Amino acid sequence: MEITLNSQVIKEHFSKSGDVLVRPIKIKQNNVTFHIFCVDGLINSQLVDMALLQSLTLDPYLTEVKTERAVMDYLLGSGSYHVFASEEADITKVLKNVLSGMVAFIFDGEQKAVIYDIRMFEKRSIQAPEEEGVMKGAKDSFIEVMRINTALIRRRIRSEYLVMETLTAGRISKTDMTLAYISNIANLETVNRIKDKINTIDIDNVSTPAFIEEFLIENKKSIFPQIMYTQRPDRVSANLSDGRIALVVDGMPFVYLLPCQLPMMMQTPEDYANHFFVGSFLRIIRYTLMIITLFLPAFYIAATTYQNQMLPVQLALSIQKSKVNVPFSSATEVLGLLIAFEILIEAGLRLPKAVGTAMSILGGLVIGQSAVAASLISPAVVVIVALAGIAGFILPNQDLSSGVRLTRFLLAILAALAGFFGLVVGLVILIVHLCSLDNYGVAYLSPFVDIEESNRKDTLLRFPIKFFKKRPDDIAPENITKQN
Amino acid sequence: MKRLIFLLLPFLLCGCSRDMNRREIDEVNFIHALGIDYADGEYTISAIFNSGGGADPEGSGEAGSEEISNGTGKTPYAAYEDLRLKNKKAITLTQAGFFLIGDTAAKEGIDLCLDFLSRNETIKLESLIYVTKGEKAEDFINAAIENKQAVSEDLEAIKQKQQEIITRNDNNLVNILNEMKQNYSSVLIPYLTAEESGFLIEGYAIFDQLKLYDYLDKETSSGINFMKNIVRSYPIHLENGTGLSISYTDTDLKTKLENDKIIIKIKVNFESMIKEVNMEGDTFTYEVLSKLTKEQNQYVENIIRKAADYSVTTGLDILQLARIIENQNVSQWRDLKETWEDNISKIEFEYELNSRIVKSFILGKER
Repeated sequence: MEITLNSQVIKEHFSKSGDVLVRPIKIKQNNVTFHIFCVDGLINSQLVDMALLQSLTLDPYLTEVKTERAVMDYLLGSGSYHVFASEEADITKVLKNVLSGMVAFIFDGEQKAVIYDIRMFEKRSIQAPEEEGVMKGAKDSFIEVMRINTALIRRRIRSEYLVMETLTAGRISKTDMTLAYISNIANLETVNRIKDKINTIDIDNVSTPAFIEEFLIENKKSIFPQIMYTQRPDRVSANLSDGRIALVVDGMPFVYLLPCQLPMMMQTPEDYANHFFVGSFLRIIRYTLMIITLFLPAFYIAATTYQNQMLPVQLALSIQKSKVNVPFSSATEVLGLLIAFEILIEAGLRLPKAVGTAMSILGGLVIGQSAVAASLISPAVVVIVALAGIAGFILPNQDLSSGVRLTRFLLAILAALAGFFGLVVGLVILIVHLCSLDNYGVAYLSPFVDIEESNRKDTLLRFPIKFFKKRPDDIAPENITKQN
Repeated sequence: MKRLIFLLLPFLLCGCSRDMNRREIDEVNFIHALGIDYADGEYTISAIFNSGGGADPEGSGEAGSEEISNGTGKTPYAAYEDLRLKNKKAITLTQAGFFLIGDTAAKEGIDLCLDFLSRNETIKLESLIYVTKGEKAEDFINAAIENKQAVSEDLEAIKQKQQEIITRNDNNLVNILNEMKQNYSSVLIPYLTAEESGFLIEGYAIFDQLKLYDYLDKETSSGINFMKNIVRSYPIHLENGTGLSISYTDTDLKTKLENDKIIIKIKVNFESMIKEVNMEGDTFTYEVLSKLTKEQNQYVENIIRKAADYSVTTGLDILQLARIIENQNVSQWRDLKETWEDNISKIEFEYELNSRIVKSFILGKER
């Protein structure tokens, strides 16, 4: 049976919740009574008093208004000093709006409510992005409030074609999301596919990124990130201009970008802030270091256990010398140290900053040095794992970094099993896997695998801006001209 | 199916690891250089190891001293197996950079010496091969060790010196094996002589039918380098006391077949720099430079002529002429190759040398 909107029902429902306010307000001019329904802490109470209640109590016009319907019309018209007012009869929608921070004036006789968006809750201020900091570029970043995040995007794109569709997910959390795209550039089929996926999210609480990501990615078994996130509004606006779609989720201080390809995650805003030679150089370094972090431990295992002819003589002798009293095999040493490295990272994240620094010194330097001195590990392995680890940190995207770290383990295991043969098997599997990934109709390795050469001008090398004449045609097929 | 393959993959790879010479790097002794000798119907293999191959727990960082270990057998491979069995640790040729063939083993035939190496799948194909002139490789190595020389380092120094003089080292294993397959040309391998302070390359050892035939002197060997167009730098000492250094050469060999005559035109272009002047007056005048140019042309021509004459006199194709004639005259080569041994002595050479002297930066107008 459908429940009608009634202040009494709501009052009973929230009788044990101290923060929910359901209070009758009598308009003295005409004796009409309505109930104010809001959540303390989510609203701007000063604005409620000044803009709404004060006008209701002082306005002489109300003496002429005798019915609830007339009062409602008055409020929806010019009776209150607030712009965001709407009428709602559905109790579910009223509850949802009020619980997200709005104020409802419930008129029991009409079984309707006038809703005002007077949300204001404690939030942190806009700060510089922690993960994607740049020296030369904008210093603002997204925060946990969706509307502020959408405003940050809107501030950068003043196009009338920028669409911000609001969606909701989570049976209990009812988390608001905004799907942003530029309607005359983005592929609307992709937009609809993303909307469909969001609508299929049928879980209680969309509280952590994984709840969104796992529903949105197409190949769930892959350890490589297929959804890009960024803290930077400028990055979102650039990608929206390219035809990508942004998803702003309330409560998350970053914005998702779709469709996502591997090269996107190897780019940083600084690439475009610097001269294109510098940008290209930095990218080449990044790609080189990705290869190093992926393959160096596996290469070391293969070269020291199977095909030592791959090493120059002096290096082979040096490694041999450093390893002579170590009781473990190269594979055990490398895998053990890689695990120890992960433990250090994990411990560093969990501990308070001050303790974390001390722990890094203790773990990295003291234990590492002692382990070498005690001949538990060879110095060469420490260098290899440290180099691979540091090279991994250079990757701009943390999700990609995690995927690469896990792949590094698998390659090291394959190298331990069958040397360079195993490594090559791993490499082939990796390439086949990456080539098989498809992200909303766009190849994951695109534009590396694109036939269109013009798409590759912003991949390994960052060409001058004048060469970026077209948008990737698989992302924005209808409107590919970027500049003339 | 895909899941099954992924589950089976580690087990399949585990199975593979048995056949992949799995051995930890500290469990093997690297052979740096290998000497091959022949005497009294037996081959001797002498391997040079680094005795400090990890045996220094303090990690002083200094290279360990070198040790020599021998194995004997009826064949080089049997000798190598003997060496392997005698050694405490497993030995490997993976890091062997140098193979020294003793004088007697070279006379017995390099094919016999190198066959077992060519079949070793772990060997470095760019390992260099040398012949030890007039003595056994084992004695050559022992003398060097007694002389407190670091054999591997000295051999490495020889390699570097070679690269200073010529643009490529043709005496690597893969190249020598390829040359051995050429039926019409002689194999050339540089020979080493021992000096008090180290080793020295003087020239090429010539092989006829893969057996050591002769050792060429320095000039004839240089002539071969000019003909092969691999000279990087070469010093010229003119009679008037002027010293020059060749900094660039380009040799072109053109063959001409006229009736029964084979004419090979050798065209050499080169540049040199004046390195030393011991005569009065201004060196950098047109007249003096022209005179020096003519003299240096004659100097280089004499060197090349020496190599060509040796080839004609001995009937050995030390200049790889067969390959050049074959490449430039494919159809005629079919007839020529039947009587190549006779034809090589009848080859006529024509020389055309062009050079120019480039002014050294630090020398002024005076002298």
